[in-house]
Amino acid sequence: MQSSASLTISDLWIERGERDLCKGLSLSIQSGEVVRILGENGAGKSSLLKVIAGILSPLEGQILYSGEDVTLDRSLLQHDAIYLGHSAGVKSLLTVAENLHWYCPDAPSSVLYSVLTQLDLVDQVDVLVKALSVGQARRVALARLWLSKKTLWLLDEPFVSLDARGVALLEGRIQQHVLSGGLVVLSTHQELLSIASRDVALL
Amino acid sequence: MTYSSFLVSEFLVLWRRKQDVFNALLFFVIVVVLFPIGINSSPEFLAPAAAGIVWCATVLAILMAVEGMFKEDYHDGSLEQLVVSGLSLPLLILLKIVAQWLTVVLPLLLMMPLLSEMLYLPSSGFWVLTMTLLVGTPSLFFIGVIGSALTVSIKQGAMLVMLLILPFYLPVIIFSTLAVKASQAGLPYSGLLAMLLAISLLSLVISPFMTAIVVKASVN
Amino acid sequence: MSWAWFHKLGSPKWFFSWSKPWALPVFCFGCLSLLIGLVWGLVFAPADYQQGNSFRIIYIHVPVAMLAQSCYLALGVAGFVFLVWQMKMAPIFIKAMAPIGAVMALIALVSGAIWGKPTWGTWWVWDARLTSVLVLFFLYMGIIALQNSLDDQVLANKAAAVISVVGLINLPVIKYSVVLLETLHQGPTFTLTKKPDMPPEMWLPLLFAVIGLYCFVAGLLIWRMQSEILKREYRSSWVKQEVTEHGL
Repeated sequence: MQSSASLTISDLWIERGERDLCKGLSLSIQSGEVVRILGENGAGKSSLLKVIAGILSPLEGQILYSGEDVTLDRSLLQHDAIYLGHSAGVKSLLTVAENLHWYCPDAPSSVLYSVLTQLDLVDQVDVLVKALSVGQARRVALARLWLSKKTLWLLDEPFVSLDARGVALLEGRIQQHVLSGGLVVLSTHQELLSIASRDVALL
Repeated sequence: MTYSSFLVSEFLVLWRRKQDVFNALLFFVIVVVLFPIGINSSPEFLAPAAAGIVWCATVLAILMAVEGMFKEDYHDGSLEQLVVSGLSLPLLILLKIVAQWLTVVLPLLLMMPLLSEMLYLPSSGFWVLTMTLLVGTPSLFFIGVIGSALTVSIKQGAMLVMLLILPFYLPVIIFSTLAVKASQAGLPYSGLLAMLLAISLLSLVISPFMTAIVVKASVN
Repeated sequence: MSWAWFHKLGSPKWFFSWSKPWALPVFCFGCLSLLIGLVWGLVFAPADYQQGNSFRIIYIHVPVAMLAQSCYLALGVAGFVFLVWQMKMAPIFIKAMAPIGAVMALIALVSGAIWGKPTWGTWWVWDARLTSVLVLFFLYMGIIALQNSLDDQVLANKAAAVISVVGLINLPVIKYSVVLLETLHQGPTFTLTKKPDMPPEMWLPLLFAVIGLYCFVAGLLIWRMQSEILKREYRSSWVKQEVTEHGL
């Protein structure tokens, strides 16, 4: 993990279909910060995260990651980032363990088992994901946050379909991540109980 | 995510969906059987027509297999994860095609002896036909995967893929059937095989990049 | 050489105001030239000594077939330009051009069939040219169908560009394969490729018709592009100003 990563966005302008989003947005995030993106439905929270992750291209603006310009080629940032979208890419025809191996092949199995125990998934480790409940499948996606060693987390509504214990676990993990120098950008309607975060409101 | 863990997961998913591959093969056999029943079952008709029949059935079976290649990945979000993985998207797509090709074409080749017997194809023609399948089918996958990516966000995309892609398959069908016919007439056919190979190589170069462009535009 | 014109081409606003005075004159010139060519060719040009009067359909068939191929070439180039330079005008061009090309290919097919009846004795022959125009027609229909079924504008632009470029790369291969198919099938002995030397009073009307049709299509294309621009840019201030000042 890089100790002094930073993400700087300047003069952003995203065009989605007929709408202009995040026009003129500038944002700078340092290591150890949690940024919470707020806004109404359709304000462009997901689009902003997708632009940072490199799924969308902005119409205008510049994105710097640790001082490098990644506006045109986001691969430098992508090597160091996790993006979790609305559907997080959990394959229903793979088991829990296979799904995690697909995403984080270098995670040792001892770590894998301790994470799955924390997330109450250890009994389902060899069950196909299509047999799991929505909340359990969501946890499989979130387990990546424990297994992967990436610095920048881009989380789109990460608390959706989690129970109270799951929310507490995830908040704890985010806290731990930023304390060790990570960057987190997340969009949520929920108040963060245990984490100090900076709010960015989209108009 | 690494290239090898991606390939492993692809094979695992294909293994769990072996019923689909089996269905495609069954479809292939049924289409082949339609011709003797529907047109003429005499050896005089079938022997010269065998290559064409097999190739038409192959094209349809492969289109069936390729059409839905990105559908599930698109809906569960793993296509998005491929885009943000930081790995080369064209290369990932190439790996996916290779996995798909192996699982569809190898079983198909295994059935060829049976089918060529049913269609009265002489053994010399059989070997040329097998060779055209080996050399020609990669291009069918490479071209088809573009259509599959183009229509991934459309609910009923199967018909559209056929409409988009079938015209591009014509040269492959033509060169392949001509090669078999040439061999049956005792003429040289290596030039036609070389043409097939050239088409496969050309599409190998173009298709992963084009597909990557479309996949990127589709996931947003 | 200055590339300013190339970048300007990318701006719908610039194209709209630049093309405004051109559409009508080009279209009218095209109509006039086409009319001269057709009347001259169909009525006054001498009959062919082999085919008699039936050859006169050449004055429709040849220009239309040329257009059908040129349109696809233009589509492929526009697709390439869009994929490389993200030029905004390219997808508008593709959208406006594809249906025109499809109609040209269809007319070429129908006129070819009508020509085929008296010369070959059947409406349809698997002649290399007819087959490749048929494939061309399928390619056009594919592009149109794809554009109609994709709702997302950004994706539709990319998709149309990709399929046009892939089509352009494939077109020579398709043509070559179809020609090969015909030679091995021992097709009809009468070919259109080796025309007897035409006297000027036969090829001049053809020239008029070809130039006329090109201009006719260019005028039509500009109009279609202009309306597509208005449709896409209706939110921008210059379109509002344009409409309030000059009306539609």
